[in-house]
Amino acid sequence: MPDAVVEKDPNSATLTIDGVAVTVPKGTLIVEAAKQVGIEIPVFCYHHKLDPVGACRLCLVEISPGPPRAQTACTTPVADGMTVKVTSAMAVKARADILEFELVNHPLDCPVCDKGGECPLQDFTYRHGYPVSRVLDARLHFAKPLPISPTIALDRERCVLCYRCTRYYDEIAWEQELTVAQRGVESFIATQFDEPLQSVFSGNIIDLCPVGALTSRVWRFQSRPWDMRHTASVCSKCSVGCNVNLWERRGELMRVTSRENDEIDDGWICDRGRFDYADVNDERRLSTPLVKGVGTSWERAIRALGDGIKGRGSKLGISLPQDLSNEEAFLFKRLLDGPLSGARVKMHGRTALPPPAGEQLRIADLDQLKAIVVVASDLREDTPVVNLRVKKAVRRGARLITVNPSEIDLDRHAGVLHVRAEAGKAAAALGKLHGHEALAAGPVGILYGDGRGAETDLAGAVAELAEATGARVMPLYRATNERGLMAIGVAAWEESLEGVEALLSWGPPPAAGVPRTASFHGAWDYLPRPAHEGADVVLAGTSFAEQLGSYANLEGRVQFLRPALDVEPPRRHGWEVLSELAAYLGLPFSYAGVGAIQRELAAAHPELAAVAAPPAPEPPPQPVLLGAARP
Amino acid sequence: MAKTELRGSHGPAPDHVLTRWIGIENLARIGVYEKQGGYRSWKKAMTELEPAELTNEVKISGLRGRGGAGFPTGIKWGFLPPPDGGPRFVVVNADESEPGTAKDRYLMENNPHQLVEGILIACRAVSAQQAWIYIRGEYDLQHLAVQAAIDEARAAGYIGEKPYGVDFPVDIQLFRGHGAYICGEETALLESLEGKRAQPRSRPPFPAVKGAWGRPTLLNNVETLSTLPWIIEKGGAEYAKFGTEKSHGTRLFTVSGDVRKPGNYEMELGRPFRDLIEGMAGGARPGRKIKAWWPGGSSAPVLTGDLLDTPSDLEALAAAGSMGGSGGVIVADDTRCVVRMAYRLVQFYARESCGKCTPCRVGGNWAVRTYERVLSGHGTADDLALFDRVQSGLAAGRCLCGLGDAAGWVIQWTMARFREEYEEHCLRNECSVEGGGRAQPLPSTAASGDLPPPEGRKLAHA
Repeated sequence: MPDAVVEKDPNSATLTIDGVAVTVPKGTLIVEAAKQVGIEIPVFCYHHKLDPVGACRLCLVEISPGPPRAQTACTTPVADGMTVKVTSAMAVKARADILEFELVNHPLDCPVCDKGGECPLQDFTYRHGYPVSRVLDARLHFAKPLPISPTIALDRERCVLCYRCTRYYDEIAWEQELTVAQRGVESFIATQFDEPLQSVFSGNIIDLCPVGALTSRVWRFQSRPWDMRHTASVCSKCSVGCNVNLWERRGELMRVTSRENDEIDDGWICDRGRFDYADVNDERRLSTPLVKGVGTSWERAIRALGDGIKGRGSKLGISLPQDLSNEEAFLFKRLLDGPLSGARVKMHGRTALPPPAGEQLRIADLDQLKAIVVVASDLREDTPVVNLRVKKAVRRGARLITVNPSEIDLDRHAGVLHVRAEAGKAAAALGKLHGHEALAAGPVGILYGDGRGAETDLAGAVAELAEATGARVMPLYRATNERGLMAIGVAAWEESLEGVEALLSWGPPPAAGVPRTASFHGAWDYLPRPAHEGADVVLAGTSFAEQLGSYANLEGRVQFLRPALDVEPPRRHGWEVLSELAAYLGLPFSYAGVGAIQRELAAAHPELAAVAAPPAPEPPPQPVLLGAARP
Repeated sequence: MAKTELRGSHGPAPDHVLTRWIGIENLARIGVYEKQGGYRSWKKAMTELEPAELTNEVKISGLRGRGGAGFPTGIKWGFLPPPDGGPRFVVVNADESEPGTAKDRYLMENNPHQLVEGILIACRAVSAQQAWIYIRGEYDLQHLAVQAAIDEARAAGYIGEKPYGVDFPVDIQLFRGHGAYICGEETALLESLEGKRAQPRSRPPFPAVKGAWGRPTLLNNVETLSTLPWIIEKGGAEYAKFGTEKSHGTRLFTVSGDVRKPGNYEMELGRPFRDLIEGMAGGARPGRKIKAWWPGGSSAPVLTGDLLDTPSDLEALAAAGSMGGSGGVIVADDTRCVVRMAYRLVQFYARESCGKCTPCRVGGNWAVRTYERVLSGHGTADDLALFDRVQSGLAAGRCLCGLGDAAGWVIQWTMARFREEYEEHCLRNECSVEGGGRAQPLPSTAASGDLPPPEGRKLAHA
């Protein structure tokens, strides 16, 4: 009888790791295959978002069939029928040997090192290393810590020279700020020309560094990882909506780190999101509402505010922040359809682009493109992490054409075609790109901004070019919840607040200042601002770290914020304040909670239907002490 | 070039494949070289043979890489994928930095046109139209000689758009190194050639498939390429008549150290090393006995003085517990302390380490410090264990490239074959070679970072 033939997927390989069989797509590296069956192969230089180098030698395993020497699991792809031994005597000894070498010059800094508790070197040494040191000589000494930027400190003694930081700069960020100086054991990490780091992407090296060589100066000597609680949330600084973890301790926001989402941020966040949170913990934060500068009860304050803004029609101006949540925006809409009808609404940071039409490019789609056109936007300024995603596509072979009045950082890559178009003339420049050979072999993507207001007729030219090349488009709205506010209808962008007699500023005061004609100014903010000096009513607001709600990022993707901090009484949630205000103005809301607002919002605005289905709250995080070491 | 006494093989002899014409006045001038018969093989390669036939002759010859690895050259040539219309390169490894090796220098300064001709033949065989010669920066006079030869060959039309009227444009360019042994490692060499920090790459992929700038690249040593004109002229089978069954041909050995006539000597493979060291290089100095010798550069495991009858082919050397390596024979007599020699060699590897991989970067320096402690008279039994510890941490695939392996072997084999000397240093703080008793404290040459170690440069136990 002939043997039965089992259908085998030609694109996958089955191998055995320590006796456990695992099937993975061909091309998968052994370290990744091992993760899938829960086998830990320690790594320093390997990072799943960087090209593998096999430099640290920590992941040595025995592979058969293969040469009799140990091989690095991070550079070797799987092969069908391969046998990998991670816990054989030879592999165990090799790993312990390498760890011992790493520790020869590593200082005994654990008690004072911020990485302690989430340090792969600690964890791997504990789990895989020798328990006793055999070093009899002096270790290497370097001047330390070196502040290499206002936010990052470098400790060369702790550095294990995994080169993750320099490789990140080369491969991901395309900035040449970090370099390795000298050779051999005298090697150390240095900044280019000894200048401080200036890149908006510098902070990611803190998360990448597997030891305490690169640490945050903003979060320094403040906490141990196991003393903090982290909450899954979304960054509120721009429209990309990178996923973050907010770390809290004793009611303070301690730090912000990436919560890797491959659909959006690929595990990177920019320095604005990472370091701009200190004002959340500012002791000058408002907590009691003020009427004419005097603390008072919420009832009185809301009555004063209501009296000041009601019945003004179009003489009322409302300034909304860029990071207003969908839920609060919805309540504003109800107010604008009701007692505040006719008021002029101005949104911070509104981009001069019409609402999106048709299907758009999503951020993750950038990976597959063969050609990208970036017009009228300096991505690094406007939507930083999208800039990184474009760089990733170009590294994979995509052609890139930039159209801008001046050079942008993307132009640094050899092969990028830069079209110099004066401000306001981008549409004409796009017209000339029809038939360009770089756009001939699709798929193509066109990312377009507004040139900071200089371009006003770009969308039409973009649509034409898209039609001609079969491209999909990504309008680059800059403001955090611009898509959400547009969908709900509170984001008109031509509105001016000139001539209003009353102003309600929710969030930071208008960029142009309080209009001189305004005889009444009511504000809601979480920090006292100079513009509040003359305000009639100042309500104590909440920051992003206390926000429970949702945003729609520039893709239109709904994402949810979870509060890291409780709203401390007497402060109240924004939606509660708006409900009380509405009730005073004669339009009682009867929402039991944010969920109720979300359901109504989703029903009223189909674009934001996803708002009605927030994900279940995450289970309480594992104490970091016992968790897996973050690679 | 100034006229210097030739310290090595020269002139016609049955086994003088590489050195048959060396000694002829002005051989570096193209007219003199052509008069001997030079560039006839290049003409033959371009007008009488197909590229595949060239590769075949080299396969038949059994020529093996003379840089150190000894890989069969013809087979290596076959690894390049078929031409796809994109650039392909021949890169010449003229970075000769292996301690004890000066043979490539001898060939470049005395017969540069032979190398140029060999490079051209290799280019034709693998359809590469650009050759880069990576020459170590310290070879100042030699690079001038090679550059002059390239210029003459270009003027004569041998290098250019249509050599011999055949539509095969080919060019050769020199690239000078900046002083790093690691640039002799082929992938680190490619990184340096590309303008990057010279650190080896992980292999696979190998240079034949993805080499310089990601393109198919053939990397060969100077001596290997210099052999090609003879092979093409006389045929691979003639070359295969020399040597042993698996190690065909002759080799240019550099003999240095405690011998009467150090120099670069060409010898047929398979003849015993005694013929080379005592026959050609004059043997030990008066009144001295040979104690230790490295047969293939310092990276080859050291052998004891009683093994001089070891045949010089690569298989016999492997059987004797060493390797052919670069052919740089270093001879040490009984006035030399093996521990001090090992220290000097490990110091070299530690300084030259590129720093990319952990074991070589850290282990080299750790070993240097240990040697300094021991040679200053402060050794203990712990240090014996430490040497073994460092050596085993560098072995068996731990390191990214051969530099780390070699550093480990220096320690491993000097300890294995001269154990008594290590023991007398570590356990009794004595040296029977240099005189007993506590030695003078050694200045520390080990790395210490950018700050001085506490209390100035002092050793831990001093």
